[in-house]
Amino acid sequence: MQSKYKMIIADLKVSDLIMENYYIILMLEHFGIQLNVQEKTVEEVCLENNINVEVFLTFANLFNGIKYIPATEFTFEDLQTIIGYLKNCHHYYIEEKYPKIRRYIKRIHELNKLPETKLIETFFNEYINEVTAHLDYENNVVFPYITNLFNQSKHLLPVSDVNLYSVTEYKDHHSDIEEKLTDIKNLLIKYLPQHNEQNVRRKLLFSLFELEYDLNIHSQIEDNILVPLVEKVEQQLKKG
Amino acid sequence: MKPNIVIADPYPLIYEGLFHILSNTENHFSIYKATTLNEIQHIQHQTTIDIVLINPILVQNNIEQFTKLKASMERTNWLAVICAYFPPALLSLFSGQIQLSDQPNFILTTIHKHIETDHQQEVGEHQFLSEREIDVLKLLVTGNSNKEIADKLNISAHTVISHRKNISLKTGIKSLSGLTIYAVIKNIIFIDTY
Repeated sequence: MQSKYKMIIADLKVSDLIMENYYIILMLEHFGIQLNVQEKTVEEVCLENNINVEVFLTFANLFNGIKYIPATEFTFEDLQTIIGYLKNCHHYYIEEKYPKIRRYIKRIHELNKLPETKLIETFFNEYINEVTAHLDYENNVVFPYITNLFNQSKHLLPVSDVNLYSVTEYKDHHSDIEEKLTDIKNLLIKYLPQHNEQNVRRKLLFSLFELEYDLNIHSQIEDNILVPLVEKVEQQLKKG
Repeated sequence: MKPNIVIADPYPLIYEGLFHILSNTENHFSIYKATTLNEIQHIQHQTTIDIVLINPILVQNNIEQFTKLKASMERTNWLAVICAYFPPALLSLFSGQIQLSDQPNFILTTIHKHIETDHQQEVGEHQFLSEREIDVLKLLVTGNSNKEIADKLNISAHTVISHRKNISLKTGIKSLSGLTIYAVIKNIIFIDTY
């Protein structure tokens, strides 16, 4: 698919990236990079924040809808950056994005009073519970496992100490999470009757689209970058 | 097709009066008589009822039976024929009212309005789901498995799956909870049954 955005390279100014695609602000936040960025280039910002430029370029280009092939393979050290990024995403979803969406749905129900809206509220709460369980699982099981794996590989501990749980299995969760989000959007756009809540519904939909955009990239990072990288470490440790 | 109307009233005077008004019009209705909720159910087994003109007295002490009956007759409109004072909560169970003081023309207009909205709903809203798909959806969201749906509709499990695919394709909704909400919004099921 043709992207409407330009390919991002290391000597571009970060401020220009934002001017072209404001979702980059969100990406910076996930990396833990703070605004303001003055006249700094991607390379300079990465250096300051101790981030591999290739990781930054890969993620940033995902936000621009471009599949960027990194010049060098990611190292095990990059795993820490990637996990840090994903953890920040999780925090943003749970502490900020989901509560905000929940408030909008509640408000819509207050305004239109339709029993169907109550059902949508319940549906969304179930969805949040599911996602939260998934994110908790990643935070408490998958990420510690990866960090542990990383440490073992670094110190060349014997294989027997490694819990050979495999990271591959949790990919399926993602499609499920995206499916429900699409369902809610369809119900709000096509089917739920509207009474006095057009502007709240618009805000809600904008929020849902924003979430979907970010969540989609988040899943791609986990499925296509994190998991293969971890599988590589697993393979190496098995070989000894 | 002639609309099927049930007059459910224990008082002969009201029944005869409504029967007279409904018969003396160019619109041909098929009129059925009932004096209890059980009799309505009995008629429902033989034909699809479009409208029930019902005296709330029959419902007043049988609300539970009435709610169940109503849920099982999803295409039927219920109009209360008001002969005394009834609490608003009771009257809210019906989709419209006819007063003893209404002129015959007005009563006919009220009835027509309810036949038309019902008709429009069928054509307009369910337009893109076939009747079979609606049957499948209804069973699906009331907790039946593919196998159970297949048995109840006398079709193969494979056909059920293909209907489900088409339903999701047409509505854009894949999850069971999402489809349930769709079915409620479209009056395919009622929240009570859900």
